[in-house]
Amino acid sequence: MKNKIKIQRAIHNLTQEELAQKISVSRQTINTMESGKYIPSTALALKIAQLLGVSVEELFQLEEGD
Amino acid sequence: MKKLLLLPHSLKKAGYILILPFLTLGIAYMGWDFTISWLDYHPMQKGEFSFMNSNFTDEFATIGLIISLFFIAFSKEKIEDEAIQFFRLEALQWAVYANYLVLIMAVLFCYGGLFFTVMTINLFTVLIIFIARFRFVLYQYNKSNL
Repeated sequence: MKNKIKIQRAIHNLTQEELAQKISVSRQTINTMESGKYIPSTALALKIAQLLGVSVEELFQLEEGD
Repeated sequence: MKKLLLLPHSLKKAGYILILPFLTLGIAYMGWDFTISWLDYHPMQKGEFSFMNSNFTDEFATIGLIISLFFIAFSKEKIEDEAIQFFRLEALQWAVYANYLVLIMAVLFCYGGLFFTVMTINLFTVLIIFIARFRFVLYQYNKSNL
């Protein structure tokens, strides 16, 4: 699964730490989501999308093989 | 995500403090037969049945070590979120696999007294491997990609 968290984060001028605090998760979680090592739950995906003001589909896309 | 049943974060520190004396005691017992005198057990002796005499140093050290390792392994992280829980479960599975691999090697290659020693250490290896793996994974994800 691909995601655009890093890009959206840059657009909103947020560091990993700041984004983590806003959605009450650890910085590692943001880090591993951005690198694709962890796929968030639906609840967390919705939370991030809401905070960044985009839809979940804009933030996360399926890849071939998913 | 459903929250895992974990101990409070503050017990992690307690675990790290407790492990030192219990580990030292365990090693001293295994290596040099060190025993603590107040853990001696002398029930009423009747004639020849003096084999009941015992000392509880090893039980004390074993239970102490298990509890301290348990505190370290299963206390919450400062921020225990869904990804941390995912890595926790992954590390636990990894530890069980690694532990049984070690156990198979021990069954194949260790005999007699050595096998007994390995089995004694094996009481703790799942927790030790889990802690090492979990900390390593968190450390890696913490330092990369700042």
